[in-house]
Amino acid sequence: MTLRVRSFPEVLLSVENISLAFGGVKALTDISFDIRKGEIRAIIGPNGAGKSSMLNCINGFYHPQQGSITYKGVRRSQMKPHEAAEQGIARTFQNIALFKGMSTLDNIMTGRNLRMKTGLLWQALHLGPARREEIEHRREVERIIDFLDIQHIRKTPVGRLPYGLQKRVELGRALAAGPELLLLDEPMAGMNIEEKQDMCRFVLDVNDEFGTTICLIEHDMGVVMDISDRVVVLDYGKKIGDGVPDEIKKNEAVISAYLGVSH
Amino acid sequence: MGFFLEVLIGGLLTGVLYSLVALGFVLIFKASGVFNFAQGAMVLMAGLALVQLIQPTYIGLWHFVGIGALVAAVAGLLVLRVLRGGTFAVVKGDWRVHLPMLVAVGAGLVGGLLALAGGAKGWPLWLAIPAAIAVMVAVAWVVERWVLRPLVNQEGIILFMATLGITFFIDGFSQTIFGSNVYPLNVGLSKDPVFLLESVFDGGILVNQLDISGAIIAGVLVAGLAVFFQKTRIGRALRAVADDHAAAQSVGIPLNWIWFIVWSVAGIVALVAAIVWGSKLGIQFSLTFLALKALPVLILGGFTSVPGAIVGGLLIGAGEKLAEVYFPALTKYVLGTAMPGGIEYWFAYVLALVFLLFRPQGLFGERIIERV
Repeated sequence: MTLRVRSFPEVLLSVENISLAFGGVKALTDISFDIRKGEIRAIIGPNGAGKSSMLNCINGFYHPQQGSITYKGVRRSQMKPHEAAEQGIARTFQNIALFKGMSTLDNIMTGRNLRMKTGLLWQALHLGPARREEIEHRREVERIIDFLDIQHIRKTPVGRLPYGLQKRVELGRALAAGPELLLLDEPMAGMNIEEKQDMCRFVLDVNDEFGTTICLIEHDMGVVMDISDRVVVLDYGKKIGDGVPDEIKKNEAVISAYLGVSH
Repeated sequence: MGFFLEVLIGGLLTGVLYSLVALGFVLIFKASGVFNFAQGAMVLMAGLALVQLIQPTYIGLWHFVGIGALVAAVAGLLVLRVLRGGTFAVVKGDWRVHLPMLVAVGAGLVGGLLALAGGAKGWPLWLAIPAAIAVMVAVAWVVERWVLRPLVNQEGIILFMATLGITFFIDGFSQTIFGSNVYPLNVGLSKDPVFLLESVFDGGILVNQLDISGAIIAGVLVAGLAVFFQKTRIGRALRAVADDHAAAQSVGIPLNWIWFIVWSVAGIVALVAAIVWGSKLGIQFSLTFLALKALPVLILGGFTSVPGAIVGGLLIGAGEKLAEVYFPALTKYVLGTAMPGGIEYWFAYVLALVFLLFRPQGLFGERIIERV
């Protein structure tokens, strides 16, 4: 049963025939799919299926040997991570990658780094336009902090926070960039039911309120089937399924990949 | 009392100079998590470059270096473009990637023309210092491009070993092109001692003017750097890069650009240290060993703290002078035999050892808590 039947006409990003290998290990083989503007797209698959590698290609950490990625109508075969960020792709990581020595506030502020434009001199003097800019961005960051309900840990160094909250701060940092495409690598891994529910709510709210397109990797099938509009399934680096949750549930290849087949 | 103050002030002023070297280490450690063993060698190189510009002994070599830099920069730019598909078009938002190259071309151009124009007379100071800065920026670019970039995402210890390599390379290279003699450096800082507070203490307090100017220069530099790191967007980006490379890239911080900036700033700090120390001791190979003195300073202050480097330097400078003067008398009073002299040579290291045992993060360092 899918609660959300929505249609998305416009393609934001499309992956065409991507292949990626590390030496002899083929992480991805000839993968194609698209992400449409405004949807929540899930990538699922057993461990080692190449899901994170796929995100890393989109985000520019990995450069696939073959194939290309078209983002906002521009086709490219390679992109550096900071360029991806400049063009509105933000992400979180499977193993949380926060700046552990910095406070929650500073971590989320780094997400706005790209949007700050005042010159070095003004910044060094810390007045005039730089000060105004800092205040303006600070306001935006406080809005995100309110949204994620993490006011109480604003000044805490993130290294000291529990896992669930760290995940939330990481989401905050990605949101601070005001992304068009948000990549979430297992945002609910290692969380208890309550934390998972919170995280689901945040993901749906981000999608609804800001219209952000979301591509997420998740292992919890209940969550995936509930919140995503379309699902792509990978196994051993190959695509074995693509469609709305109801189709995926009935897909034989997917069922056998997850449950195994008797030979 | 007057004598005590004299020892204390002398020690503090020397300490400021230690801080100056330690600062270079802190900058790079903060921004890349690398302990840069080459900082001492960079001080030597900056000093030699400056001395050679002011009082050239091989002007023919400078012609060669200047023209060579120009030709190499232009050729490099062409080759790079051809390799990347033969286009000179700069992608929007991408110009910073080319900036190091443009700086290298600019430096080569300016350096080449000035080397030709300068003749055998040597350059005035106002020209020589920017040129020496250009040399250090070029070093930063080379280090980023040929050493750090291929080692991205490697363990800290591997980067550390790489900086050991850089040390030996810079030592050998700079002495090959600049010569290995001891050169006096005179940038107009007075060396005459002055007597302070003559009305308060009998005979006043003897202070070396050079140490005072050194302290003022260091103070200005530190204030500038502190503001740069704490208050600016780039400062926050630097701290982010030090913490996590992948995460920093994902929020749009270009790693290579940040490393280039940091190594350039460290090069400029090395130049300042070279000016102050060189005025005191002359520019010579032993400046490399300043790196060793900076180590206990860092352990005291914490590897990640700019104020820590200052306080650590002051503590060690003052501590070792006071220990040198007062320990023998103290041990004679307590134990009956006077401790032999030469205490200032080991005092810093013993103090560092004590800190490593009881407060390994230093006075101001961040305490890293790792969850398992």
